[in-house]
Amino acid sequence: MKILQNIGEYFILMGRTFSQPTKASLIRKQISFELNSLGLGSMGIITIISAFMGAVITLQTASNIDSALIPDYTVGFTARQSMILEFSTTIIALILAGKVGSNIASEIGMMRVTEQIDALEIMGVNSASYLIVPKILAAVIINPFLAIWSMFIGISGGYLVAEFSGVVTTDAFIEGVQLDFKMFSIYYALIKTAVFAFIITSIPAYYGYNVKGGALEVGVASTKGVVTSSIVILIANYVITQLLLI
Amino acid sequence: MIELKKISKSFNGKQILHGIDVVYEKGKTNLIIGASGSGKSVLTKCTVGLIEPDEGQVLYNGKDFTAMKLDDRKEVRKKIGMLFQGGALFDSLSVEENIKFPLRMHASMTEKEMQDRVNFCLGRVNMSGINDRFPAEISGGMQKRVGIARAISLGPSYLFCDEPNSGLDPGTSILIDNLIKELTEEFQITTVVVTHDMNSVMEIGDHVIFIHKGHKHWEGTKDTILKTTNKELSDLVFASDLMKKVRKLS
Repeated sequence: MKILQNIGEYFILMGRTFSQPTKASLIRKQISFELNSLGLGSMGIITIISAFMGAVITLQTASNIDSALIPDYTVGFTARQSMILEFSTTIIALILAGKVGSNIASEIGMMRVTEQIDALEIMGVNSASYLIVPKILAAVIINPFLAIWSMFIGISGGYLVAEFSGVVTTDAFIEGVQLDFKMFSIYYALIKTAVFAFIITSIPAYYGYNVKGGALEVGVASTKGVVTSSIVILIANYVITQLLLI
Repeated sequence: MIELKKISKSFNGKQILHGIDVVYEKGKTNLIIGASGSGKSVLTKCTVGLIEPDEGQVLYNGKDFTAMKLDDRKEVRKKIGMLFQGGALFDSLSVEENIKFPLRMHASMTEKEMQDRVNFCLGRVNMSGINDRFPAEISGGMQKRVGIARAISLGPSYLFCDEPNSGLDPGTSILIDNLIKELTEEFQITTVVVTHDMNSVMEIGDHVIFIHKGHKHWEGTKDTILKTTNKELSDLVFASDLMKKVRKLS
């Protein structure tokens, strides 16, 4: 029953968030701030994780190919497909759910317990719209770029491993990366990323916005926000894949 | 003027407020006192619309706030300033941006006009020159004063203060009390102060309402409170030795 109540409250909050927009000039300013905070602030971790993921996929694929019938370019092909279809979208989204999600839940939660949200309401501001819309929009705008960056870095990481470890030639790796490339894979990845961006921001925002109590409850809300958004990402991943790829 | 008629509120089946009737007059400092958990904060939140009462009406200058649509409520809220217990300044904004916030939301002012208004409000609370500081960089007392500056930036008709003296030293408490009193009289604001501080009651209590277990138990002024025979009120006000001595002297 609690789950149903949470789902209901989440949709009511989202309805409130998008039904009474805040003054455009203030929202623009906030979006620009959030683009910097959520987007550029995540570049470092995405770069490091993507490079190592691409490198490890390359090593593992190469080490598991025993048959002479399987061509070497399979390594590059697998690295590209893995990065584009899953790692740069779903895995990055799960990592951002931890980093960005906990940040959003605790930021909004602290604003709730220190009465800053009440102060906004007293000023006649739709606090849900003012606080949540810029975060959602910024993430939906910037995360697809982060996903593309992750794909590029991941495949580059695989290329560097091919270059320096010698598990596969760079020519074979590049051939595999270019083999049977379908632009739809990128569209699919970007659609997933945009949906995940909405989930990563809106669910922790919901938990933060509804905090009652003090610092302890803010911590609990932050954890719930991360766990719930991670589970919803996995479910959404399955649903989107079923709808778009099958 | 604000009029509350038969305000009742329950949470999870427990009745917190029982049909409270109060009139807060313009140009007066109205104090709500009561023990912790008596319902005074809930009453204030019902008055400003942060909590919806189960029953009753809140009238701002005769207009029923509880029955208003959201847009109409916004118009009333533009005239409300509120000082929260912890100041509730926006952490991510400087002092200046905090005070400009309501102006940006609701006033059609140029940047220069807003700047002048910020400087006026900060000057009025004796906090000139801290425009660029952030809330975390100033003391609790200063945050309260900046909170007042933000509350008066739009020139409110109604000012609500929730425990304005909590966590402050006696000197700063008196300063905040005097500031609230001065602003109330200077701008003819209807001011409502929720407080535990008996010094505040004696300093600025033009009109005092005592809430006990969700009921309005007593109503009077700072002068009549000294002569009260109401047991629950006496227990609250004259709990300290100092106040007992004050009562004897009066």
